Amino acid sequence: MISTVPGNYPKIANRPGGQALRRAISSFDRGRIAAEELAAVADSVTVEVIGEQERAGIDVITDGQVRWQDPITYVAGNLQGYEIGGLIRYFDTNTFYRQPEATSTIAWQGPFLVRDYEFARDHAAKPLKPVVTGPYSVAKLSLLGIYADLETLVMDTAKALNQEMKALAATNPVLIQVDEPAIVWHRYKDDWDIFREAMDVLMDGVDAKTVLRTDFGDATGLPDFFALPFQGFGLDMVHGKQNQTLISDFPDDRDLILGIIDARNVRMETEEAVVDSVTLVTQHVAAGRLAVSPNTGLEFLPRETAYDKLQNMVHAVKKAQEAVA
Amino acid sequence: MEGLWTTQVGSLPKPPALAKARTDFARGKLPQTELVALEREYTKFWMDFQNELGLDIVVDAEMYRGDMATYFAETMQGMEISGLVRSYGNRYYRKPIAVGPLQRVKPFTLDWWQYAQNLTDKPVKGMITGPYTMAEWSYNNYYATQEEFVLAMAAVLHEEVADLERAGAQFIQIDEPAVSTRPEDLPLAIRAMAVVVDGISATTGTHICYGDFEAIYPKMLEIPVDVIDLEMANRDFDLLDLFKRQAPFSKKLAMGVVDVHSHVVEDKEQVKAGIYKGLDVVPADRLFIDPDCGLKTRTVDEAQAKLAVIVAAVKEVRQELGLDNA
Repeated sequence: MISTVPGNYPKIANRPGGQALRRAISSFDRGRIAAEELAAVADSVTVEVIGEQERAGIDVITDGQVRWQDPITYVAGNLQGYEIGGLIRYFDTNTFYRQPEATSTIAWQGPFLVRDYEFARDHAAKPLKPVVTGPYSVAKLSLLGIYADLETLVMDTAKALNQEMKALAATNPVLIQVDEPAIVWHRYKDDWDIFREAMDVLMDGVDAKTVLRTDFGDATGLPDFFALPFQGFGLDMVHGKQNQTLISDFPDDRDLILGIIDARNVRMETEEAVVDSVTLVTQHVAAGRLAVSPNTGLEFLPRETAYDKLQNMVHAVKKAQEAVA
Repeated sequence: MEGLWTTQVGSLPKPPALAKARTDFARGKLPQTELVALEREYTKFWMDFQNELGLDIVVDAEMYRGDMATYFAETMQGMEISGLVRSYGNRYYRKPIAVGPLQRVKPFTLDWWQYAQNLTDKPVKGMITGPYTMAEWSYNNYYATQEEFVLAMAAVLHEEVADLERAGAQFIQIDEPAVSTRPEDLPLAIRAMAVVVDGISATTGTHICYGDFEAIYPKMLEIPVDVIDLEMANRDFDLLDLFKRQAPFSKKLAMGVVDVHSHVVEDKEQVKAGIYKGLDVVPADRLFIDPDCGLKTRTVDEAQAKLAVIVAAVKEVRQELGLDNA
């Protein structure tokens, strides 16, 4: 049993000097510093948040997605064909993203996550996983623009991201995580057939261990969800309580990322509650296949609280390991 | 028949000198008395402007508020303020946290309402953030459930509404912008609003924005207030089609006819066309006309121009309809 994180980590800290990235972005926006200077600050903050995840004791970490404006824009903006537009609410959160619109045919124009991943991996002592927002969520949360229907936009995005997946796979990462929150959002489940096809396109010829992670909802009502072409699945057990009903049928030969720490509220989970839920899950999923995680990215929390939650989670995972050993 | 009253959703822009003073105060470089003096000066500036322009129902302009949730949380017992959290892009804010039983220790807005009302003969609208939105936009580190948190907040906010009414407020707006983000919570928001307006006879209203209106209409008409205030201009008045399709809009409607997110000032004919679209769905004696949302993100000039075009357009439509308040 291990501990992991979903993806993003708070970019600024509340201690003095903790707002370097915020200041650098602001200076860059005003034309006061060059892109290279901003990139250097992003690199140093990446090293910092890698260090924090490691100090908290997380087993499989990420680069914190320090360069990402939000889960959608960074991926869409690096593909050909998406233009970034106005602010719109991200699911039911009180945060916003800039909604992309397809203004020409979507295509891959070269790797954009590989350099981020290699830089982060080279500065990490722990295994580090690259994260890609999946084609369905990118397309669904964008405007169709020149596309006549969602299916074509999703498939073109899947073809483009398939190239990125292959480029990432070539660097031999410990695993690649694909985030697809939109498919478990309660109003989008009718798109299941499109989604399934998109996952086949995305994963075609990708030679790496891969995990499909979801949040903001549950995967009930999506037939054969665990038959999708991934070696592992991530579920949000806080905002997708119905996911509990899926655990008893979780396949033996797949890994499970169990999102049980609430990353949208500051309240600390009690060790007892975490141990209890993990222990319950181990009745159906082998401990060796289990990764305990916050349910969503940590950017909904202040940096210091995010760190405390991770530390807390790591302690609880140790206790749970002892309990099931 | 009278109708088509002009009003505002709430906030107006803080002039640059006040924005700077707020920053200086936060950094400990400016004493609070000086900040408050400036807040009063610019409240008067906006009261004078609204008077001169001839708006029917005016607002205190919220010169003293930073953000619509944090302001109330800061003055409430049982709430604390978090470290910085990201809102979007490079924008961060401090989010309130419930840490103990909520209690109002002093009125949140009453002094400012009284100050503003003393500067005008027009009714000044009482303006507070609603209980569902306050809880939704805060962390909960105390109450066992979100429902308990929302209802405790409602009891606190009721005291403020009662105070505003006692002081003479004829219109009180309880904003619930978060209601449209999680449709399944609408019944809770309705129950909470009933607590807030319990026993109140002033005209009550609520402002709701963004979100999924398809999912909350017509159920949202059950929110126990007299007026529902909605953004229309920045969504091309599509909500009016929803009302036509689904169920008649049975309350009074305050309709946003200028886009608060755009620097471009709408022209008068455009605004008149929007008003006539509204009249297609709700009669003039149940229709208020205002901007889509608070204007605080615009410059002072833009906000003034947007309000002026509303007043000019309404004046002409009132004449064309032969309303008694033309």
